[in-house]
Amino acid sequence: MIRAGRLNWLEIVGGTIALSLVVVALFAPVIAPHDPTRAVAQTFGDPGPPSLAFPCGTDQLGRDVLSRLIYGARVSLIVGLSAMAVAMTVGVAAGLCAGFFGGWTEMVLMRLTDVMLTLPGLLLAMAFVAILRPSLLTILLVISLVSWTGVARVVRAETLSMTNRDFVLAARALGASAGRLMIRHVMPNIMPTVVVMAALSTSGTLLLDAGLSFLGLGVPPPTPSWGRMVEESQIYFRTAPWLAFFPGLAILYAVLGFNLLGYGFLRRRNPQ
Amino acid sequence: MRGALRTVLFAAFAGALALTIGGCRADLPADSFPSGAAVLRLALADDVPTLDPAAGYDAASWEFEQVLYDTLVRYAADSNELRPDLALSWGISPDATVFTFHLRHDASFTNGRQVTSADVRYSIERVINPKTRSQGVQYFLPLLGAADFAAGRTPHARGIETPDPYTIIFRLDKPDPIFLHKLAMPFAAAVPKEVVERWGEDFARHAVGSGPFMLKQWLSGQRLILVKNPHYFLSGLPKLDAVVALIGVNEELQWLKFEAGEIDISSIPPAEFTYVMKTPRLKALTIHHVTAVTSYLGMNCQMPPFNDVRVRQAFNYAVNKPKLVAILNGRGVVARGVLPPGMPGYDPDISGYAYDPAKARRLLEEAGVRAGFAPVVWLTSDPTMLVLGQSIQQDLALVGINLVLKPVAWGPLLDAVREPHTAELFLLGWGADFPDPQNFLEVLFSKEQWGANNDTFYYDPKVQELLTEASVVADPKRRYELYQQIQQIIVNDAPWVFLYHPVAYVIRQPWVHGIRLHPLRPARLDYIYVTARGAEGEQTSGETNQTR
Repeated sequence: MIRAGRLNWLEIVGGTIALSLVVVALFAPVIAPHDPTRAVAQTFGDPGPPSLAFPCGTDQLGRDVLSRLIYGARVSLIVGLSAMAVAMTVGVAAGLCAGFFGGWTEMVLMRLTDVMLTLPGLLLAMAFVAILRPSLLTILLVISLVSWTGVARVVRAETLSMTNRDFVLAARALGASAGRLMIRHVMPNIMPTVVVMAALSTSGTLLLDAGLSFLGLGVPPPTPSWGRMVEESQIYFRTAPWLAFFPGLAILYAVLGFNLLGYGFLRRRNPQ
Repeated sequence: MRGALRTVLFAAFAGALALTIGGCRADLPADSFPSGAAVLRLALADDVPTLDPAAGYDAASWEFEQVLYDTLVRYAADSNELRPDLALSWGISPDATVFTFHLRHDASFTNGRQVTSADVRYSIERVINPKTRSQGVQYFLPLLGAADFAAGRTPHARGIETPDPYTIIFRLDKPDPIFLHKLAMPFAAAVPKEVVERWGEDFARHAVGSGPFMLKQWLSGQRLILVKNPHYFLSGLPKLDAVVALIGVNEELQWLKFEAGEIDISSIPPAEFTYVMKTPRLKALTIHHVTAVTSYLGMNCQMPPFNDVRVRQAFNYAVNKPKLVAILNGRGVVARGVLPPGMPGYDPDISGYAYDPAKARRLLEEAGVRAGFAPVVWLTSDPTMLVLGQSIQQDLALVGINLVLKPVAWGPLLDAVREPHTAELFLLGWGADFPDPQNFLEVLFSKEQWGANNDTFYYDPKVQELLTEASVVADPKRRYELYQQIQQIIVNDAPWVFLYHPVAYVIRQPWVHGIRLHPLRPARLDYIYVTARGAEGEQTSGETNQTR
């Protein structure tokens, strides 16, 4: 059950982080001091250290790292949140149908889920991106494709536990259709679980996006992305560590935020 | 020779950066050499493709092939002058169609058998033979009767005569003033027939030649060991007892190993380069030279809008080349034309295209290219290439062009530029195989090379006419004049954005001497020597070992 009430500390910290990211992403052109793709300092081939003018330094192409981080939040959030939304929609639909109808429907859907789960997510995503051309849309779809399975399993289990409850049986006895039963009676009761899963899977999709970018399969340049920033800074790890440090920190911040939010929701549901 | 744009071009260390970061799997077999032996320790990113001279056509293979085998003539250690190798003397007919060589009597293969003119003939016929599938065949087809021999109609090529074991005569069907240079390529190296026939396709693994070194061990992906050939005909060479090359060590790892004193010569990763140059102690140990390579952004002259010369010139004005060189930490010289400096026929007065975005915008407008035009550039996924690609992307954005980067592997990139109407833009480089402008201008811009090396599908009737005329002119002065004229037309037509000529840097340990970089070829290992580096077995490099 979703209960109103005081926010717990996990929700406050996680929510603040998530909200700050959304604000940064939305207002990137206002907040960012420079154009993230243009050369603003003459640090070609020799990255510039953090300074007053460039708090996070400048990279080997003379671009402002802070501005790139700010714009990078856009890609990360768009990919992370949209992929999460698609994955949740598919996962919830599959889980609900499997749990509610049982029989062949369940058999087919759950075996499909099992097959998808046997394949390592990152490898599968890499294969798909390599076949399709990397673009914002393909990355998003590929990440959702490998992320819905976990949701489907949990939702199915929750649905199973609901279908034999008295209120569902009562509604069924009153002649409610399958669709009405699923949407009006089962769904609202599994929503708390879905919300927890959504927050937790956002951190998963964020990491997957960063991983793909790191492997050079993410959103193509010049669009700044955190994963690619880490990848491009690798060779400077000993001479200009700040180049990899700041985007790494950004990934950590975002993933931590959504994880805390997820656990906050979880604690609200199971206070023990 | 085809090469990707790379910052590091000491050929020994070229080759795509290995994705395997696994690194050194095999330790140096230090105990397999007697104490006090002069051993040079190298590290390579990728395995050596081959050691069969008929097959190798890349810098990594040639580095080792050129010390395992001998050719009739070879280059001096650090210049393009030809020196005797298997041949002690030679003569050329005035019309440059007959080449006569007199072989030395004291050369023998490392299996003990003497090298004779029959071996030289066999080796070249082996390259011509279609069964060998050698890329070197193109250089020997002008020999009289080569086509008949290739078709199996004659037992030998008519144009190669061996009147006695120490004389060999080549006859060509038309004058070729640079045929000597073709004989200096490893393709023409002498190999012993009996060993080649015994191992067949596997000859590369059991390489036997007559050069200063011989193959001791080649473990794929692990290490390559060459040892001194004690019976080599030149006294005092090689100066080393052995060369041990670790395989699968990427550039960054090479640097760490170098700092730890575990390898003797290393390339310098981009990230460390500035540090090395700022540290006098390290800077003194670097060796560099401008390579005979031109790196370029090719534009397919058959694909609109690049069929319009104004668009191609606009791209030349729009790309900031000094910035590219700065990104390479100064390891390049801005290119103003096709030919690299040091190449015969190089024209220091050629003006090229200065950075001028305003002019670029004007030309694009005239040509009717609208803002937001988004051409695709093909490039390898090498990290350096991607950074250079992004720099060009930045420059073009300033003139309203949204360049799209398409990183692919080396093979698909070469396939794409050979296919008409496929790659509109691509980043590539070309390095000379021999010191003659023909090797750049005819190979890259003649119509016969469409679908092969003429990756821009460039064609100009005047250029074509001059190329045909120049190729048979034996008088160097007249020849280079003609090629300079050709180059000027090509620069005006701008099928390439002329980017830069890479400057190759290597760093040596203080105890390594005699490294002499050659303008075209990998450095020869036989001139390198090492002095005592302190107590035997101690692997530290003394003062170079300090960390920051």
